[in-house]
This record gives sequence, structure tokens and C-alpha cells, in this order.
Amino acid sequence: MKNNNLISPRSLSFKAQEQGYSATFHAMASPCEILIQTTELNLVKKITKLVSDEVWRIEDKYSRYNKDSVCSHINNSAGQCITIDEETYLLLIFAQQCYQLSGGLFDISAGILNQIWYFDGSENIATSADIARILPFVGWDKIVLQPNSITLPAGMALDFGGFGKEYAVDRAILLSKQITALPVLVNLGGDLAVSGPRLGDKAWQVAIEAPEENDRASVTDQINTDQRNTEQVSTKQDIIVALHHGALATSGDSKRYLAKKGKRYSHVLNALTGWPIEQAPRSITALAPQCIQAGMLATLALLQGQNAEQFLSEQAVTYWARR
Amino acid sequence: MMNSLSGKSAKKHINVKAALSMAAGALLGTTTAVGDAKAQVLKDWQIDSAFLFYSEADRVTAAEVIISGNRTFINDEVLNFKLTIDSLTGASANGAVAQGQAQTFTRPSGDGQYVTPVGDTPLDDTFKDTRVQLNAQWTQPIADNYTASVGGHLSKEFDYLSLGINANLAVDFDKKNSTISLGFSHFQDTFTPIGGIPKPHESMLIGDSNSPSWDEEFAHTRIASSDNKYTTDILLGFSQVINRRMITQFNYSFSTVSGYLTDPFKIVSVLNEQGITQDYIYEQRPDERRKQSIFGQAKYHFDQGLFNSVVDFSYRYMWDDWQIKSHTFDSTWYFPLSNWFGKQSYLQPHLRYYQQSAAEFYQPYIFTGHGLETNQGFVSADYRIGEMHAITLGAKYGFTFNNGNDFSVRLEYYQQTPTNAGFDVPAGLENLTVYPVVQAIILQISYSFL
Repeated sequence: MKNNNLISPRSLSFKAQEQGYSATFHAMASPCEILIQTTELNLVKKITKLVSDEVWRIEDKYSRYNKDSVCSHINNSAGQCITIDEETYLLLIFAQQCYQLSGGLFDISAGILNQIWYFDGSENIATSADIARILPFVGWDKIVLQPNSITLPAGMALDFGGFGKEYAVDRAILLSKQITALPVLVNLGGDLAVSGPRLGDKAWQVAIEAPEENDRASVTDQINTDQRNTEQVSTKQDIIVALHHGALATSGDSKRYLAKKGKRYSHVLNALTGWPIEQAPRSITALAPQCIQAGMLATLALLQGQNAEQFLSEQAVTYWARR
Repeated sequence: MMNSLSGKSAKKHINVKAALSMAAGALLGTTTAVGDAKAQVLKDWQIDSAFLFYSEADRVTAAEVIISGNRTFINDEVLNFKLTIDSLTGASANGAVAQGQAQTFTRPSGDGQYVTPVGDTPLDDTFKDTRVQLNAQWTQPIADNYTASVGGHLSKEFDYLSLGINANLAVDFDKKNSTISLGFSHFQDTFTPIGGIPKPHESMLIGDSNSPSWDEEFAHTRIASSDNKYTTDILLGFSQVINRRMITQFNYSFSTVSGYLTDPFKIVSVLNEQGITQDYIYEQRPDERRKQSIFGQAKYHFDQGLFNSVVDFSYRYMWDDWQIKSHTFDSTWYFPLSNWFGKQSYLQPHLRYYQQSAAEFYQPYIFTGHGLETNQGFVSADYRIGEMHAITLGAKYGFTFNNGNDFSVRLEYYQQTPTNAGFDVPAGLENLTVYPVVQAIILQISYSFL
């Protein structure tokens, strides 16, 4: 195992359910779950292996905590032009499009702002001096991206955390579809997608948990009976959603905030100013055909602050917002 | 506001969703056309409410409120409650035929009279009723591929009480692509009309209802104060998923009704040779009826073409031992309009055609001295069991809010055209409307919230 000790051991556990199997594992600092509606355990194992290997591969390749990752390689390049593969290029192009679509509000080079913002519920607001010191090292426009290479100015850093998990969900669904036409649900810490409806054209029931009760707003499939029983005790106001097609992704995190003089600072940072977005919903869950699209719609909406819901309505997105 | 205004205003006119869809497609190597997304909130209780307004030209007006609550439990058990309250007012045809002179009738209660003008179809305008109906249904999986359901029904009107129970079993097979279902229901209805139940073939008493002997004379036309009706239905269904675009459903149903099946408010005109009314007698129907029907339905979803619409077509053939046979063609066409109005909306036109033959004992009127000797004396002039055809034409528009709540409005026009099933028309009726057309407007507003 080459990854560091932040990640728990890479193992899979299976459980037979009323209408198929669930497999759980840990990746990307989140509990992960695959549900497959079949009674053939061999098929379940085959799909699960493929999917979990893919998720772990993406984690290894793009985690900024893994010093051997492509991400670390880029971040440690000290201003040198370095070679990248096609997958990395496509992810960076996607990040660039999100940067452009958001008018610069979303920026995968903004991760270093977390060096001065600690969203721990305290009153520790970053100072203008801190922000002025960091901001010169934020900005996608300072990066030179070529189809085979990237040049990241020294002192800057990229963070694929804004869509890495959602990307892994979509890759997992694509891979499972190559093997089986049976219904599959992939849930990586609350960002999830289905290959299609359950047998008999039935929807998957998923719960969008109330963020107040959890560190992360996560979505857990509802046909996992045991898990659901415990959740029903611990959470309130879960929204149960019947998902037929597509993906759900949640952006936002109510426990991570700062509060000073009655003002609540969300953990969502404006990459242009270095300040938190004000009056953003606590969390937004969006529905889209692909998970990466759902996640980005939710994130871009949060960046609109008090206009988050209006933004999603104008874009005709189905969403659930919590304030 | 500290967030960038430039970002916000610049984006206003960009279709971010479409741009992200293309970007995601490029990243994942899928075409942007791939994939749709569909989800709705289930929550604890899903409440559906509907208001329905039905109005026949010059006749009955009905207003109905339906509130239905669905709760889905952990293991896919579903509890459903449905409360229906409707109120009916207006006039209903009493069965008598139009005449070249005004006609006087006694109200079903025996309390007073009403007069029908020259040439008009006689309508009893005393209809006023409020019905409260309560249904409860529990559905749960009982084993792999087996789903069972039981329910109860209670319906109360001023002069009517209906109690019912039902049970259903559904079995899925072929990877849930096929479902066989078996249903059973039993109802017991008690009818307690004001003024009691009239004696079949007895002449309607017409005269001075204030006279001291009136009550006693009226009581002579009555045989009981209440009566019962029992209905048992058996349904056998089969549904089959043909492919991901098409599903089909086939049903066979058998229904047997026994007890008091006569309508105590309906009379039959007794005419002389010239067609002039001599008398009105109370109708009589058999105390048994066996109905059977077959039903087929197909739903087809046009994935790419035809605006992604869904066509639903069904046909029902019903026959019974009263010799009524009916054909029903029903079709809806669902058009999603999601990209037109910014919300998930749809338009659904509806067309229905219905045609039925008359019951063997149906007679629009009888003649003095004969008319009761056939069909064991059973006779009814109720247009609803006569020969007729009907058409319904309308559309429904609905949309889903971002929070998953649904709103819809349905507007329909209904026209029922009774026809002559070969009865002789005496000279006195030649210029009168014996088979009046019934026209109605139906407006329904529905709201589902979670």
C-alpha cells in the first residue's frame, strides 16, 4: 500500500440485502458504498473490485495529501513546466471551464486560502493583511496549461477536492455499465449516481441528511436497512428522494463556519477576494445527469451567496437547499 | 456584498447547466446527450390534494375535494389515506319523457311537487347531497417478488352508506419485467332514501300534498324505508415491460352485484297511442347483475423523437347480463416542456370515446296496456343505461416546483349523446327531444406537496 496513514485500510465488505448486495469501503476520507441489484455474488465482487480500484486510483493520483500524487507533483514543481497525462489535462480543462463559468469565483488554485481561514465555528476571522499576503498566489489565470504540460507558478497549489469525488462517482458508473446492465448505485461520501432505475422501473430511495447532525452533508442509500435504522435515530428532517436516473451531489457544510459580531462566515471562499461568501445556504444538493455536473452546479450556486436558489431556479436545476 | 458582482452579472445570461453538461461530457468521454436525471422527494408523508369541479349544462353541478396522504416506511411498506368530500347540487333527469304540455311530478320525498315546462326534459331539481368518503390502504412486500395490499372503504351520504374491504396480491417475475396481480373487493351499501323506497310499477301519486289523506296515500306507493346492495369484484391483471420504452397492462374483471339495484328516484312515462303521457310508474331493475370486462393498455415513451412524449392508449370492453355492452377508448399524450418554461412542466391532451348499448329492459317510455309483459316486468327509462355514446376532450397542464411539489390543472369537455335503440316514436313525440344531449365541463386543480 503506497498511500499514507490518513486513509484507513483498503478493504471491501459485502452484505446481502433484500434485493441485491451492498459493498462498503473507505476512500477519499469518506464512507463509500456500492449497491448492485443482483443475487450473483461473483458479479457483485467483480463490479465492486473494478469500482473501488478506480476510486482508489483517482484518490492516489489526485490527493494533495499523497506526496506521490500527480497533484503533489504539480504543487511541488516550483514553477517548472511539467508533463501531464491526458486524464490530468482533461480534469484541468474541466477546472478551467468552471473557473470561466463562475467568473473566477471557483478556482482550484484557491485551496491555499485555507492556510489563513480556519472554519472551526470560532471568531477567528482572517485579517486583511493575511489575505493580501496569500491572494497573489491564487488565480487560475496565472497558470499555463498545454495539452501535455502545466506550468504552475512557485508558491501556488492546486486542489482537486472540489470535484475529485464526483469525478470518481461518474467514472465508477461508467465502468460498471461496461460490465452489467443491472442497476448499480455508487455513493462516495454522499455524492452519488445510479446507472438507471432499479428493476421494475423503481426509483432508488436516498436520504439527503440534515447537515446539522453530520460533519458532512451526506447522502446514504435507503435500501440499506441497518444503516437507515441508525440514521433515523440520529438525524432529523432527512429529505428522502426517489432517484430514477442521474446523480445527486451536495455542496456545503454547516459545521464549518466562523461567526463574528452576529455575522456568519461560510466556509465557501470567494477566490477573487479571498473572503468567505456571505449568506450562502448551509448546503445545496443538486440533481444532474452526471455527478460532476451536479456537484459543480451546487458549488457554483453556493458561490452566489444569497442568490444561490435563484441561480439554480434560473438554470432549471432540481435542487434542495438548506439554510 | 463581498463576492464579485462581475461574476454574478456575467453569468446571468449563460446557460451554466448546458455548459457544465458539455464540459462533463468532454471530461468523461460521453456525449452530452447521454443521461437524464430524474428524482423527486419522498419524505415521510406525501400529500396530494385535488379540487374537482364538474358541471353539466342545466343539470348537476358537483364539487369535490380529495386529500390523499402516502407514507412510505423502511421496508417499502406504504400506508395511504384518502379523504374525498363531494357535494352535488342541481337537477337530474327523472326518466319521464318530454311532452307537448307542462308536466307535474311529485318529489321523491313526497313533500311537494315540481313542474316541467312544455317540451323540456323532466328534471328533478331536488338533488343536493354531500358525500364523505374515506379509504385506507396498506401495501407491503411479503416475500421476494410478492407484494400484498389490504384496504378498507367507508362512504357516507345523507341517504347512503357504503362499506368495503379489498385485498390484492402482486407477483413479479422475469426480473420484475412481468407482474401478475389478483384483486378482490367486497362492498355493502345501504340505501335509505328520503320518502322511502317506492313500489315498482306503482303509479307516481300526483295531487294536493297538503290534503289530509296525502301522507297515507303516498305511503301506499312505498314498500320499505331502506334496502341493501352487495358488490363483489375480482380482478386479474398482467403487466409486462416490453422494453425500456414500452409497458403494457391487461386486466380481466368480474363483478357481481345483488340486492336493490333499482333507482328509487327514476320513473317511466306511460303513453297512449298518440304519445301523450297517461301515467308515471316507478322503475324496476333485476336484483342481480354480473359484469365482466377486459382491458388493455399500452404506454410508449418516445425517447428521442416526438418531443420525448409519452403516449398512453387503452381500450376496455365491458359486458353484463343486462345486455349492456360498452367500448371505451382512452388516450393521453404527455409532452414534457421542461426547457420552455424553466420549470419541469408538461402538457397532456386527453381524448376519450365511450359507446354503450342499452340494457335489455331499457325503454324510453311504455304504452298503456303493454310494455311490462316482457323482461319479467323489469323496466327503466334511465338514460344512463340506454344506448349512447360519449366523448371527452381536454388537456392537463402541470409543473414541478424545484422543491419537488407538483401542480396541475385539467380542463375537459364532456358530451354524452343518447340515441334511439330502435323504439317506435309516437306522433306526439315527433317534435320533442326524447334523447337529450348532456354536456359538461370538468375542471380539476391538483397540488402534491411533500
